[in-house]
Amino acid sequence: MSIAPARDPVVPAEAAQPPLLVVDDIVMRFETPEGSVTAVEHVSFDVKQGEFLAVIGPSGCGKSTLFNIIGGLLDGYQGRVAVGGKRIIGPHRSIGMVFQEESTFPWRTVIDNVAFPLEVAGMTKAERIERARHFVRLVGLDGFERRYPAELSGGMRQRVSMARTLASEPKIMLMDEPFGALDEQTRLLLGDKVIQIQQELNQTTLLITHNITEAVQLADRVLVMTYRPGRVKRFVAIDLPRPRNSEIVGSDTFGHYVAQIWSDLREEASRGMIADESRSRGRGRAE
Amino acid sequence: MADVGRLKNPSLIGPLLNPVMRLRIVIIVAVVALWEIVAVSGWLFRDVVPSWQRIIASLAATLSQGDFYFHLWATVYEIAVGLAVGGTCGLAVGILLGGNRLLSQSFESFLYYLGPTPKIIFFPVMIMWFGIGPGSKMAMGAISCFFPIALSVAAGMREIDRVLIRVGRSFRLSTGQMVTKIYLPAMRAPILNGVRLGLGVALIGTLLAETKLSNRGVGFLIIQSYNTFDMPLMYSLLIVLFALAIGLNSIIGWFAESDRMRR
Repeated sequence: MSIAPARDPVVPAEAAQPPLLVVDDIVMRFETPEGSVTAVEHVSFDVKQGEFLAVIGPSGCGKSTLFNIIGGLLDGYQGRVAVGGKRIIGPHRSIGMVFQEESTFPWRTVIDNVAFPLEVAGMTKAERIERARHFVRLVGLDGFERRYPAELSGGMRQRVSMARTLASEPKIMLMDEPFGALDEQTRLLLGDKVIQIQQELNQTTLLITHNITEAVQLADRVLVMTYRPGRVKRFVAIDLPRPRNSEIVGSDTFGHYVAQIWSDLREEASRGMIADESRSRGRGRAE
Repeated sequence: MADVGRLKNPSLIGPLLNPVMRLRIVIIVAVVALWEIVAVSGWLFRDVVPSWQRIIASLAATLSQGDFYFHLWATVYEIAVGLAVGGTCGLAVGILLGGNRLLSQSFESFLYYLGPTPKIIFFPVMIMWFGIGPGSKMAMGAISCFFPIALSVAAGMREIDRVLIRVGRSFRLSTGQMVTKIYLPAMRAPILNGVRLGLGVALIGTLLAETKLSNRGVGFLIIQSYNTFDMPLMYSLLIVLFALAIGLNSIIGWFAESDRMRR
C-alpha cells in the first residue's frame, strides 16, 4: 500500500489486537441419499478476546454443524479454524463446549461432574475439588455439590454442564443452544447468570442460538445466518450498556434490535419453512 | 422422569403386614405342610420324600462338619473364578461389539445362536483341557456366563447417550479414559444385569459339571448322596444350594439398588 511503515495513530489499540478465534471460509457438504447438501457455505467471522458473539439462524442453517466444526467434533470441511493465529484440528484445549442436550454425567455428583476435566488432566483430588468448588460457586450452585444430576432441575443441570466446561478454563466457550430445552423465565434468569460469569472471567464466548431475545440479551455482536446453505447474512452490533441484566428485555432499544434481527431472520425462516414443506410433500408423493 | 423414580413405594405398613409378604409366607407354609403330609403318609415312598425332621437333622449334621465347608468353599471359589474370567471376557467382547458396527454385524449373531446352547456339551473337552478338578468347573462357569454378559454389554454400549461420548471427545479423553470414565459408568445398569444373568448360568454350569464328574464341591456331594440313596442329606444340600444362589443374587441386587438413585 504505502512505503511508510508508520502505523496510523488514529487506530485504537484494541482494533490492532488480533482476533482470538478466526473462522475462515468454512464450507461443509453432506452426502445424502438425495444428493449432496451444502450445510455451511463460505462462513467467515472472528471473535475478539472477551467478546460475546451470538450466531443466530433458522433451523437448518447449519448452526450446529458450525458448532461441531469449531469444537473439532466434525471433520471433512473446507476452510480453517484458528485460535490465537494457529490453525486447530480436532478437539482443542482452548475451546470448551457446552451442549444443547442434557450432558451431565448422571453417575457423578455435581462437584465430580465439574471436576471431570481436571481429573482427566491428572490433577490431584484435593486440588481439583477445590478448583471445581470455585466454578460451582460461580454458577450459583453452592450447597448442591454432593447432589446427583437426577436431583436437580433442568436449568441447574445445564449450569453444571457450564461449570464443567468453565473448569477446563477454555480460551473460548462454545455453547450450542444451552438453554433451548428450558422455559422462557428460567432462560432469562440463566442469561443473567451467563452475563455475570462472562463479565467476571472476561470469558470469550460463542453462542449458537435460534432465540432472538437470548442473542440480543447476551451478545456484543450477533451474526445472522441464512437458511440452507448457511451463509453469513449480516452482523448486528448490539450496543446495549454493560453490565446488563434481563430487565433490559423491556427497553425500547432492546425491542429495536429484536425487530431488526427478526426482519432479517423472518425471510430466512420462511424460506426454510417452504423448503421443508415442499420436501415433505415430495416425499409423500414418492411413497 | 427422574422424579417418577423417586416416588418409590412409600410403604407405610410394616413389611410383615403388607399383602405381598403375607401371601409369600402363606405359600411357604403351605408347601412345607404339604411336604410333611406326603412324607408322613408315604404316598410317594417314604424314603424319597423324607420328613422335615430328618432333613433338618441331616442339615444340622452337615453344617457341623468341617468337611462340608471344604466342598462349599470349592464350589463358591469355582463360581467366583468362572464369573470373573467369563465376565471379564464378556465385558471386553461386549465393548468391542457394541463399539464397532462391522464387528457386531459379523459376530453378534454367532453369540446369539451359541448363547442358548447347553454348555454342558463342552464339558468333555474342558475335562481333557483342565482335568477333573476345579479347573474344568471354572471353565464351565466361565463359558456359561460369557454369553449373557457379552450380549448385555454390547446392547448397553449402543444405548449410551451419544452426547456423553461427545463430551468425552470434546475434553480429549484417550481411548482408555473413554472406557473407564464414560463407557463403563454409563453402562452400570446393563453390566449389572448381565452379571446377574451370568451368575445364574455360571451357577448352573458349575454345579452341573460337578455332578457329572468331579472330586469336590456341593454338586459332587449332592450326586454322592444320591448314589448312596441318602435322601435327607441330598435335600439338605439342595437347601444349602438355594441359600447360596439367593445370597449371591442379593449381593448383586444390593449393588443395583445402591446405584438406582444415581439415575
